[in-house]
Amino acid sequence: MDLSRFNLITIATPLVLGAGVLLVMLVDLLSGRANRRPAQLAALAVVLAAAAVCLATWNTGGVSFFGQVSGDGFASFFNLIFLAVAFLVILAGPAYLERNAIHFGEYYSLVLVSVMGMAFMAAGTNLLVIFLGLETMSLALYVLAGFNPARQSSNEASLKYLLLGSFATGFLVFGIALVYGQIGSTDLARFSAYLAGAGDPFAGYMGAGVALLLIGLTFKMAVVPFHFWSPDVYDGAPTVVSAFMSAAPKAAAFAAALRIFYAPAESLGLPWERILWILAALTMTVGNLSALNQASIKRMLAYSSVAHAGYLLLGILAGNELGAAGILFYLASYVFMNVGAFTVAWMVNRRGEGRYDLGDFAQLGFRRPLLAAMMSVFMLGLIGIPPLAGFFGKLYVFTAAVQAGYVWLVVIAVLNSAVSVFYYLRVMVIMYMRENEALKDVDRIPATFAAVAACALMVILLGLIPGSVLDVARAAVASMP
Amino acid sequence: MTEQFTPVVWMLLSAALLTAGMMAVAIFLGPRKMNPVKAEPYECGIKTEDPPLNMRHPIRFYVVAILFIIFDVEIVFLYPWAVVFRQLSLVAFISIAIFIGVLMAGLYYAVKKGVLEWR
Amino acid sequence: MGPLTLITFLPALGAAAIGLLPADNHKAIRWTAAAFTLAVLLISVMLIPQFSQTHTGINDVDGFQFVEKADWIPAFNISYFVGVDGLSFPMLLLTALLCFICIFVSWGIKKGVKGYFALFLLLETGMMGAFVSLDFFLFYVFWEIMLLPMYFLIGIWGGPRRVYAAIKFFIYTLVGSVLMLLVMLAFYFNVKDPVTGANTFNMLAMMDQANHSPWLNLFNVRVLLFFGLYIGFAIKVPVFPFHTWLPDAHVEAPTAISVILAGVLLKMGTYGLLRISFPILPDATHTFAWFLALMGAVNIIYGALCAMAQKDLKKLVAYSSISHMGYVMLGMASLTAAGINGAVFQMFNHGTVTAMLFILVGVIYDRAHHREINRFGGLANIMPKYMGISAVAFFAALGLPGMSAFISEAMVFLGAFPVFQVYTIIGISGIIITAGYVLWTVQRMFFGEGLKDEKYKGMSMEQIRVHLPEINGRELFTLIPLAAIVIYLGIWPHPVLGMMNASLVHLVELVKAAPVVTAGLF
Repeated sequence: MDLSRFNLITIATPLVLGAGVLLVMLVDLLSGRANRRPAQLAALAVVLAAAAVCLATWNTGGVSFFGQVSGDGFASFFNLIFLAVAFLVILAGPAYLERNAIHFGEYYSLVLVSVMGMAFMAAGTNLLVIFLGLETMSLALYVLAGFNPARQSSNEASLKYLLLGSFATGFLVFGIALVYGQIGSTDLARFSAYLAGAGDPFAGYMGAGVALLLIGLTFKMAVVPFHFWSPDVYDGAPTVVSAFMSAAPKAAAFAAALRIFYAPAESLGLPWERILWILAALTMTVGNLSALNQASIKRMLAYSSVAHAGYLLLGILAGNELGAAGILFYLASYVFMNVGAFTVAWMVNRRGEGRYDLGDFAQLGFRRPLLAAMMSVFMLGLIGIPPLAGFFGKLYVFTAAVQAGYVWLVVIAVLNSAVSVFYYLRVMVIMYMRENEALKDVDRIPATFAAVAACALMVILLGLIPGSVLDVARAAVASMP
Repeated sequence: MTEQFTPVVWMLLSAALLTAGMMAVAIFLGPRKMNPVKAEPYECGIKTEDPPLNMRHPIRFYVVAILFIIFDVEIVFLYPWAVVFRQLSLVAFISIAIFIGVLMAGLYYAVKKGVLEWR
Repeated sequence: MGPLTLITFLPALGAAAIGLLPADNHKAIRWTAAAFTLAVLLISVMLIPQFSQTHTGINDVDGFQFVEKADWIPAFNISYFVGVDGLSFPMLLLTALLCFICIFVSWGIKKGVKGYFALFLLLETGMMGAFVSLDFFLFYVFWEIMLLPMYFLIGIWGGPRRVYAAIKFFIYTLVGSVLMLLVMLAFYFNVKDPVTGANTFNMLAMMDQANHSPWLNLFNVRVLLFFGLYIGFAIKVPVFPFHTWLPDAHVEAPTAISVILAGVLLKMGTYGLLRISFPILPDATHTFAWFLALMGAVNIIYGALCAMAQKDLKKLVAYSSISHMGYVMLGMASLTAAGINGAVFQMFNHGTVTAMLFILVGVIYDRAHHREINRFGGLANIMPKYMGISAVAFFAALGLPGMSAFISEAMVFLGAFPVFQVYTIIGISGIIITAGYVLWTVQRMFFGEGLKDEKYKGMSMEQIRVHLPEINGRELFTLIPLAAIVIYLGIWPHPVLGMMNASLVHLVELVKAAPVVTAGLF
C-alpha cells in the first residue's frame, strides 16, 4: 500500500485531539465520582500537546489523502485559534460547572471533539471533509448546549440548535450534492477550476448548489437572515458553552467559507457579489440594532456577535489576499474578546442562571477594579478603539473591502461600528457610573481570572504588534493550495 | 446498456405479481374470524396490558439499541477486512486495531457509566 | 530613544507604575504622578534651547526637529513617525505645563485615587502623542487614546449629571473620529509614497499634491473631504453648532479635567485643522476660508452672549472658551502671517488663561459648594488674595493690554481685517460683550454688599471666613506660574511667537501657493 498518500502530518493536530478525547474520557472514568480535576488537567494537557504539534507542523503538511485535506499554514493558523479558545474555556469552566452542579467530565471531551471537527473544517479541501468536520463539531455543540439538563432553557437551546442546525446541514449537503451533480466531484480544486473556466459560473445546478452551500455556512456564522437561533441558543446554553460557541464555531465556519470561496471569489461574478453585499449590510445593521436594547448581557453579546459576522463578511466579499488575511486576524482577536466577555458575564452574575441582567455589573469598577478594567478592554476592543486588537481587525477587513471597490459598504460598516458604541459603552457606564445596588461580592476564582486576564492580554498584545501577526496571516493565506 | 437490466426488471415484476397474487388468494380464500387479540398491534398470544398509544418503552432500550448499532457497523468494516486480511499489509492491521481500540474504549465507557445495568 | 518618545510614553509608564502601587497609599500615588509629569515638563523645557526657531516644518521633513521614524505596520506603510515644528512645539509645552499643574489641582480627589491618576497620565500620553505624530494613522490612534481616559474621568469623578455628560462627550467625539477615520482612509488610498509607490499614511507625503491620485484631485472630492475633516475637528474645538457637549462636560467634570479639556483638548481641533486640513487640502482651505471666518465670528458672538446669560460660574467660563476659540478660527481663516501667528498664540494663551479660570472656579466651589454667581458677593473682603489672582485671570480673559491674550487677539484682528472686514468687525464687537460679562461677573462676585446667601446670614466676618477660608498654598502654587506666564508673555511675547513664526509663515505660503483645482466630479 502506498503510504505517501496518507501523510499523517497533514492531520496531526486533529489526530492528537482525537486521541486526547479518548484519553480524557478514560481519565475521567478512572478518577472517581467526585473528582473532575484529573479530567480537566488531562484536557489542558491534550490542548497544549495539540498546540505544540500544530506549531511543530506549521505549514509543513501539504495536500494529502487524495487531495482531501491540506495541512497548510491556513489550517495551522485556525487550529491555533480553536485550541486557544478550547484552552480558555477548559481553564475557566470548572468554577461555572461547579456552581451549577453540572460538572461532568464529558464537558472536556465534548469540547475537544468539537475542536477536532473544527480542525477538519479548516483543513478540508474537499466539500465532504468540510461537511464531516462541521457535523462532528455540531454534534458535540448540540450536546454542550443542553449541558444543564435541569434547566428548561438549556434544553430548549439544545433542541432549537439541533433542529435548526440539522436543517442547515441539510442545505449544505444538498448544496454539495448539486455541485457534485454539475462538476462530478466534491474536490475544491475542481470546484474553483470549474468556476474559473465556466463562462456562466451559475449554469446548471451550480447556482442552486452555491446558494445552498452559502446558506449552510452562513447559518453557522449566524448571518442575517439565518441568525435567529443564535440569541436564544447563546442565552439558554450554559454560559461557558456560550463563550465557546460564540467564538470557535464562528471561526470554523469562516475558515470553511474561505476554503470554499476564497479562490473562486473573482470568478463568481455579479449575482454572488450582490447577495453577499446585501447579507453583509443586513447582518451588521440588524445585529447592531437588535443589540441596542437588550437587558441581558448574554443576548447583547449574541447580537453583537451577529454584527461581527457582518463585518467579517466584508473580508470574504473583498475576495483579495488582504481580505482573507484580515479575516484571520479579526477572528484571532475576536475570539479572545468574546470568550473574555462571556466569562466575565458569568463571573459577575449573582442572580442565578435565569437572569443575566446588565445590572450585575453595577459598581464592578470599584468592587473588582481589575476585572472591570479587563471587561472594558473587551468592550472597547469590540467597538474597535485603537490601539486594541479589534480596531486592527476591522481596519484590515475594511481596507480590503475598499481595495475591492466596496466603498459604500465600508461606510455602512463604519457607521455601524459607531452605532455599536452605544451598547458596548453601556456596560462600562454601568460598571463605573451606576450607583451601588448592594450586590454580593464576585467570587475570586484564580483559574478563571487567569483565563480572562489571558484574553485581555491577547487583545492588547495583538493591538501592539498587528503588523507581524498580519504577516503571519498573509503567509497562512498564501499557503492555501 | 439497458438490456443488461432486463432480467432485473423481470424479477421485480414477477416478485410484485407473486406478492399481490398471494395476498389476493388470502383475501378471497382465507377464513375470517376476528377477535380483539388479533387486532392488537403486537400479537404474541398474551393480552396487551395498555392501549398502544400510551405504551412507553424504558429509555434504556434505546441506549442498548445504539450500542448494538455501533457494533453492527463494526461488523460491516471487519467482515471485508477479514476476507482479504492475508493480502493486506501491517498498516491495515494497525488501522483496524486502532478502530477496535476506539470502539472498546467506547464500550468500556458505556459499561462504566452503567448503561448495561438494568436497574 | 529620542526626547519626543520619552515625553510621549513617560506618562504611560507612570500610569503603569501607579498601577503597581497599593490602592490605599494615596500619598505615594499622588507623588508618583507628580514626579512623572514633572519629568515630562523638565524634558520639554530642556528642549527649548535646542529648538531652532528658523526651521520650518509643516510639509518639509528636514524642517522638523527631534524626528524619530520607525516601521510600525509595514504592510500598510504605517510608521511611528514623530517630530515637532513651530506649530506643535508650543502646544507640547502647554500640555506638559498644564498636566503638571493639574496633578496638584487634583490633590484633593478622594474617590478612586489610583484609577484617577493612572487615567490622567494615560490622557497625557494621548495628548502628547497626538501633538507629535506626523503619521496620520498614529495621530488617529493617539486621538482615540485621549478619548477614553477623558470619558472615564468625567464619568466617574464628575458632578451629579456626570454620566449624561460623559456619554454626550463620548458620542460627539466619536462621531468626529468616525468621520476622520473615513477621510483618513480616503487619503490613504489616494496618496502614493513618492519613493516606494505604495499607499501611505505619512502626513508629509499627503501634503505633496503631486502624490495625490486623480480622484483626489477632483474639486468636489476635496471639498467633501475638507468638510468631513472640518466636522471631525469642529466638534473638538467646538465650533457652533457642534458645541453643545462642551458646557455639559465642563460643568460635570472635576476641576483638573476641565482645565485639561479647555486648555489642551479644544486646541486639538484647531491644531488638527492647521496640521492636516490646511496643508493637505490647501485649495479647499482658501476657497472656504470665508466659511471658517464666518464660523469664527459666530463662535465669538454666540459664545460671549451665552456666557453673559449664565448663572453658573463654570458654565460661564465654558461658554467663554467657545467664544475665545472663535478668535482662533478667525485668525486661522485669514491665511495671513499675522492672523495665523495670532491664532496659534491665542491657542497657547487661551490654554493658560482658561486653566486659571477653571482652577479659580474649583477653588471657590471647594469652599462654597456651589457656583452660582448671584449667591456670591463681596468676596474681595473675605478672600482678598483670591480676589487678586482672580482679577489677573479675568482681565486676561477680557484681553486687557499687558496680558498675553491681548497680543494674540490684536494679531488675529490685524491679520483678519484686510481679508474679512465684516467678520472681523463682528468679531471685534465680541470683545465688548466679553468685557461686559467679565466685568459684570467680577462685580457680582467680588464687590457689593457681601454674600447674598441665606446660609451666611447674620454671621460675622470671622465666622464666614471659617466657611470660606483664604486660598491656600497648594492652590496658589498651581495659579502663580500661570499668572506669571500670562503677564510675561503679555509684555514680551517673543519667546513663543519666535518659536512658531517660521513654521506658520511657511504654512501660509504653502496654502496660498496652491493652485485652485477646478476639475470637478459632478
